[in-house]
Amino acid sequence: MHTKKFLILPVLLIALLLAACQGSAAGGKTITVEGAWGRPSPKVAEAGAFYMVIRNTGKEADRLVSAESPACGMTELHESVMNAQGVMEMRPVAGGIEVPAGGQVELKVGGLHVMCMQKKAEFQPGARIPLTLHFEKAGDVALEIEIRQQ
Amino acid sequence: MKTRRLLIAALLLVLVLMAGGWPVANRWRPHTFHGMVIQSPQPAPDFTLTTHQGQRLSLSDLRGRLVVLYFGYTFCPDVCPTTLSEWARAMRLLGPKADRVQVIMITVDPARDTAEKLGAYLAHFDPRFIGLVGTEDEIARIATLYGIYYQKHEDGGENYLVDHTATQTAIDQEGYIKLVFPFGTKAEDIADDLAYMLR
Repeated sequence: MHTKKFLILPVLLIALLLAACQGSAAGGKTITVEGAWGRPSPKVAEAGAFYMVIRNTGKEADRLVSAESPACGMTELHESVMNAQGVMEMRPVAGGIEVPAGGQVELKVGGLHVMCMQKKAEFQPGARIPLTLHFEKAGDVALEIEIRQQ
Repeated sequence: MKTRRLLIAALLLVLVLMAGGWPVANRWRPHTFHGMVIQSPQPAPDFTLTTHQGQRLSLSDLRGRLVVLYFGYTFCPDVCPTTLSEWARAMRLLGPKADRVQVIMITVDPARDTAEKLGAYLAHFDPRFIGLVGTEDEIARIATLYGIYYQKHEDGGENYLVDHTATQTAIDQEGYIKLVFPFGTKAEDIADDLAYMLR
């Protein structure tokens, strides 16, 4: 009988602690990133692009201001745009990428992307590249880029 | 009883006709191209550049094969790898027919894209792809002949970007421009058009 009581108390405590931890994490995290991927690319390709969907569950708009990865010497936020003449233009995104409150922004092929420059190695299929996104309000969000065909 | 047997026979006949008739009708239906169809009154302009393996190659050397021209550069992170991946996939979809296709990428960044670099880059997508390099003047002249615009951005320092027309031009076995594919054309659509041209 006594042993049972002794068991219940720690189990309850642990459960409470776990619940508290999860609660605080969910409460403080307004930015989530899904489906982060990049294409396999050989060593000679000095640049690569990362794509993902960024969701903002917060009540305020946030802004992705920059990104960094140990796999890239330099990382910039870029956008590919097709102009009226059918020419693809690519430009750094001035002032970062806004993620609306309760909304999302998609970084996708032929559009917004994180550009990895001075790529340090070959990106092989199945590899996972660490990337940290810096947000104006949410701060740093660490994630992994999955290297796959599409 | 007799009418019922006749009815069943008639039904069977209809079924057989439908099963056999469908592929035939399908073959007779004209092919709808996914790419933009070009009616060229003259053969595609000939040119000569250097392959990534260091040989001189003229477009006219490839007569009898279906040639695809793409203008791009290896530093391009988004548009070029996407396009080349789709073409690599289209080549796989074509199976043995792909042996009669020659995909060529002409660099619009001759300052950074050496023959060696372009070769290693293209091999990653499909080792059958040929990269062509040349002088700034040669490439500018050929791009103009094919209605391709490109412009280097000086503001990026050594990591500069090059804006460029992202279309792909398919030249038929007789040397005439036949199709232009816009950026974003899927491998399945490319392979469908090419398989028809190689029928």
